[in-house]
Amino acid sequence: MIRLENVEKVYRTSSIETLALNNINLNVKKGEFVSIMGPSGCGKSTLLNIMGLLDAPSKGYIEIDGSRVEQYTDKNLAHLRNQKLGFIFQSFHLINDLSVIDNVEIPLLYRNSSAKERKELAQEALEKVGLSNRMKHFPKQLSGGQKQRVAIARAIVGKPEIILADEPTGNLDSVMGNEILNILQKLNEGGATIVMVTHDDAMAKKTHRLIRLFDGTQVV
Amino acid sequence: MLIIEIWASFMVLFGVLSLIVYNVRNYLQPVGFEYEHVWNLDLASNQDTLEVAAKLERALQRVKAYPEVESVSRMSSNTPFSANQMGNSVTYNKVEVGADFYSTDGELSKTLDMKMLKGRWYQESDRVSKFVPIVINKAMEDKLFLDEAAIGKVIKVDDKKSFKVVGVVDKFKSRGEFMSDEPAVFELLAKDDVWNANMLIKTKPGTDANFEAKLVKEIAVMLPGWGIEVSYLTESRKNRQNLTLVPVLIFLIVSGFLLTNVALGLFGILNLNISKRKNEIGLRRAMGATESRVTTQFLGEIWVLASFSLLLGLIFAVQFPMMNVFDLDSEVYIIAIFAGIVVIYLIVTLCAWFPSKQAARIHPAVALHEE
Repeated sequence: MIRLENVEKVYRTSSIETLALNNINLNVKKGEFVSIMGPSGCGKSTLLNIMGLLDAPSKGYIEIDGSRVEQYTDKNLAHLRNQKLGFIFQSFHLINDLSVIDNVEIPLLYRNSSAKERKELAQEALEKVGLSNRMKHFPKQLSGGQKQRVAIARAIVGKPEIILADEPTGNLDSVMGNEILNILQKLNEGGATIVMVTHDDAMAKKTHRLIRLFDGTQVV
Repeated sequence: MLIIEIWASFMVLFGVLSLIVYNVRNYLQPVGFEYEHVWNLDLASNQDTLEVAAKLERALQRVKAYPEVESVSRMSSNTPFSANQMGNSVTYNKVEVGADFYSTDGELSKTLDMKMLKGRWYQESDRVSKFVPIVINKAMEDKLFLDEAAIGKVIKVDDKKSFKVVGVVDKFKSRGEFMSDEPAVFELLAKDDVWNANMLIKTKPGTDANFEAKLVKEIAVMLPGWGIEVSYLTESRKNRQNLTLVPVLIFLIVSGFLLTNVALGLFGILNLNISKRKNEIGLRRAMGATESRVTTQFLGEIWVLASFSLLLGLIFAVQFPMMNVFDLDSEVYIIAIFAGIVVIYLIVTLCAWFPSKQAARIHPAVALHEE
């Protein structure tokens, strides 16, 4: 489903060159639930960004569903992100000026779906995360766990095949964290391929496979 | 705040554009007379009170006799392009119209080559008629007589004097190209008139300053102690144009500065707004928005904002044509409103274009990690 071949990422400024990822080779199969662990600054988020086509590798290449993407235009990449990928972030990244349902509808805006279709799909996604009673609320009226559930609903509303979660439980207490993990497990059981960055060993153990990074290098 | 700023810019633009449209429309209309080779001989009797009318008549005949002169006409001091104005209101069938009044003789239409539309210019023989003969312009005919024909109609001025219309000329924009086509009445000078001491002299092409010097010298000999001044209508026209153009230019410069300030303000606010929303931009890019979609979103937002401001501005601006403010043609205001809308949309688009493009170019991974 996702294949990374000899991926290297270097960040350059005028005076400093930082090697964030070094020779990463990775293959995430369809339906897998993979977790990525490692100390802060080891390149976990960079790796997730590259897998999510939010950043480009300095060397090597990435394949999504059998297609290499390095030659893709901005439009092609945006289309691929919209159709195949769903993102969950540690800090939720909800737009405070939009209601819960409007936040969830965002990915569908870029599919040119009708307003009716958007609303139906958003309601369905919110039901899956148990937030159908909070549709008209605004993010500031929600708890951390509820916000993350909204973010999950937004990630799954377009029914993507791959969900990339960057420390989805990082800002939550253990009870809320477990709730979120349960939702992700259910989504995985439903067929979604999930890659999750986490600091939590217990969470990582509940996934199918663990990838460890250290100083930008894959150690397991 | 942004809405108020755009609204204020629109109102200023509307004012300036109304002024420009008004002047341009006037400029495109002909003045209605020929001013090339026409001189204005301005005589002032000063302390001389003896036989002034006879002296003026002798001077007129002398000027007429020069071979360099094609025709001469006596006229009141509100000669073409001068700063003088004489106005009065005229009544007919309960319709009252304000008009510029010009006292002249029977030669004016010839001297200024004015286009007669109906009837004829008055002559010396008209003096014996019961009413004072007058010639009016088309604007006067339209306003005073509405659908009726003007020739032969008797009209009253100040409920005292009665005039009979003998002719209608086309336009007479005595204050130059930038003047609107206002109602005008030409009244035959009285035989013993001593107050209206200007003479318009149409010279033959090629007549130069030597003739001017000779003319002034000989008239000075004829009328000792009188003030004599010669000016060319072409020069007076230029001065008159400057009198109109200078305030318009000042307005343009002031509004230009204002609009530049608004544009810079808008640019700054949009830049700040976009830098505050980098997370959102990153999120939208992650969710599938293309660069062009992000640009369009920001442009769309500023257009919505501009549309609100313009709607607010329109509420004020439409009052001008509806209430006939300053007695201007409603078309002037309507053109100014449309031009103002176009300029405002252009300014906001230009101001939003660069920050929106910059926003779209932010790398999603970078935008998502900026706090």
